[in-house]
Amino acid sequence: MPILEVKNLSHSYGGNTPFINDAVSDVSFGIEKGEIIGIIGHTGSGKSTLVQHLNGLLKPTEGEVLLNNENIWDNPKEIRKVRSRVGLVFQYPEYQLFEETVYADIAFGPKNMGLAGDELDKRVREICKMIGVKDEYLEKSPFDLSGGEKRRVAIAGVMAMRPEIIVFDEPTAGLDPAGRESVIEIINNYRAATGATVIVISHSMEDMALIADKIIVMNNGKLFMFDTVENVFSNGDELRKIGLNVPIVTRVFDELRGRGIPLPENVFTVKRAVEEITALKAGERNA
Amino acid sequence: MIMDNIIEVKNVTYEYSEDNISYAALKDFSLNIERGSFTVILGHNGSGKSTLAKLLNGLYKPTSGDVLVDGINTKDEKTELEIKRKVGMVFQNPDNQLVASIVEEDVAFGPENLGLEPAEIRKRVDDALKSVDMYEYRESTPHHLSGGQKQRIAIAGIIAMQPECIVLDEPTAMLDPKGRAEIISTVRRLNIEKGITVVLITHYMEEAENADRVLVMNDGGIIADSTPKEVFSNVERLKNVGLDVPQTTELLYRLKSAGLPVNTHVISIKEAADEIERALHSEDN
Repeated sequence: MPILEVKNLSHSYGGNTPFINDAVSDVSFGIEKGEIIGIIGHTGSGKSTLVQHLNGLLKPTEGEVLLNNENIWDNPKEIRKVRSRVGLVFQYPEYQLFEETVYADIAFGPKNMGLAGDELDKRVREICKMIGVKDEYLEKSPFDLSGGEKRRVAIAGVMAMRPEIIVFDEPTAGLDPAGRESVIEIINNYRAATGATVIVISHSMEDMALIADKIIVMNNGKLFMFDTVENVFSNGDELRKIGLNVPIVTRVFDELRGRGIPLPENVFTVKRAVEEITALKAGERNA
Repeated sequence: MIMDNIIEVKNVTYEYSEDNISYAALKDFSLNIERGSFTVILGHNGSGKSTLAKLLNGLYKPTSGDVLVDGINTKDEKTELEIKRKVGMVFQNPDNQLVASIVEEDVAFGPENLGLEPAEIRKRVDDALKSVDMYEYRESTPHHLSGGQKQRIAIAGIIAMQPECIVLDEPTAMLDPKGRAEIISTVRRLNIEKGITVVLITHYMEEAENADRVLVMNDGGIIADSTPKEVFSNVERLKNVGLDVPQTTELLYRLKSAGLPVNTHVISIKEAADEIERALHSEDN
């Protein structure tokens, strides 16, 4: 049974006005517990609108969202509980830091869930340890941190609620390569420690190939593909039609195959590419 | 031959100070930008890139040292407008740069402030919109456009001022791959066709592929200054300062480490395939 199921979800902005606009239309998919799901699609394809339904920030115009087989809108008064079970990390989450200390900012979410005292303290310290926020930072103002550190603290604030599902909307946007790598590491650490299900929106096909199990491709508000990384990136021509592409290393392999070199199609990471090329070279030598 | 420099940065130190603690973002920094060139500046967050960008058109004044734009010192307050007209800036977030509710009015904002004749403004706005391939959207509302389109409108607004140089500070950070490609090809075309000097600051290594020159900044100084191929071939140095290389270069670097006879001075997909094909067919090793 999927942990999260989206059934025939549609969302229109500007209903009952002449400007009605379907941001998401008739989208259905199911996600199993512990999976890492990537969502790709060009700007305006409906990615952000879609994920804001997963924790009840937006209510579907039509269709439903099932969390552990229960419609999250069955009891609208309880929707806040859904928000701690499905954590949403927005784009540029560091813009939402507001407390006087890093500690207070990270504690804000769990405190709102009713945690207090030692339990709250334990929760904050655990998450800091898990994602590498040092003790000496806890009493600092979040505004004195660097951009990458601020983002890490903002993410910790959502993780401290221990969501079963955590959704990231472009978590690496605007970061330098070292910052991007460290955010990916945090996501992997959280999942390893908690077994949580992870959903990541990204524009980087290379990052998707590294972290995701399956990929949802959105186009013009519709679900264009939902399949394994391998099957999605095997459809380069379809992806290019909607303004996306396959990882760069896959394009190098496509070029080489086009020249008659016997390399496989399903290579999406540099690591695999090196293995395949060195194996081919070794095979030639032994032949 | 005498170099014709549009911008000269001479021994500039720039300090931020807060609560009596000062911090030098740039230290005794010197740099010349040749007229008509396309320069890409790379560096991790906090390396001093954005501080440099803001010094180039006088938004910031050096704590010590001088910045000369077309020979004019940015410290001179009387020439402030002239410098801002010569060097236009494009920032990261397109939504923060558009001021009007109609595309062509937005692009006209700068030329109107220059006090030009209406006919001249009309001509400049039309030319600028055509040069970024957005003329057909001239009567649209900016907030209905995609991020890449909005960013091109912001660039058109700069072009309408007929600058000598455009400085773009991470203009593609908030865009999707298609939007990023639109911006990079637009900027490159303006550089080639109109001869506008371009200084592009970015975190995306692929965007440096077609530059004349790549500068790598670290800790307020320059640690590499050469052609893209030369700079990226030094994979270790870049990784040491928290930067990446394009995935093509990364692939060749790792193949070389694995003992294959490949040259790592390549960036494009075709060149990478050429190198791998050659290495696979070579007899040595």
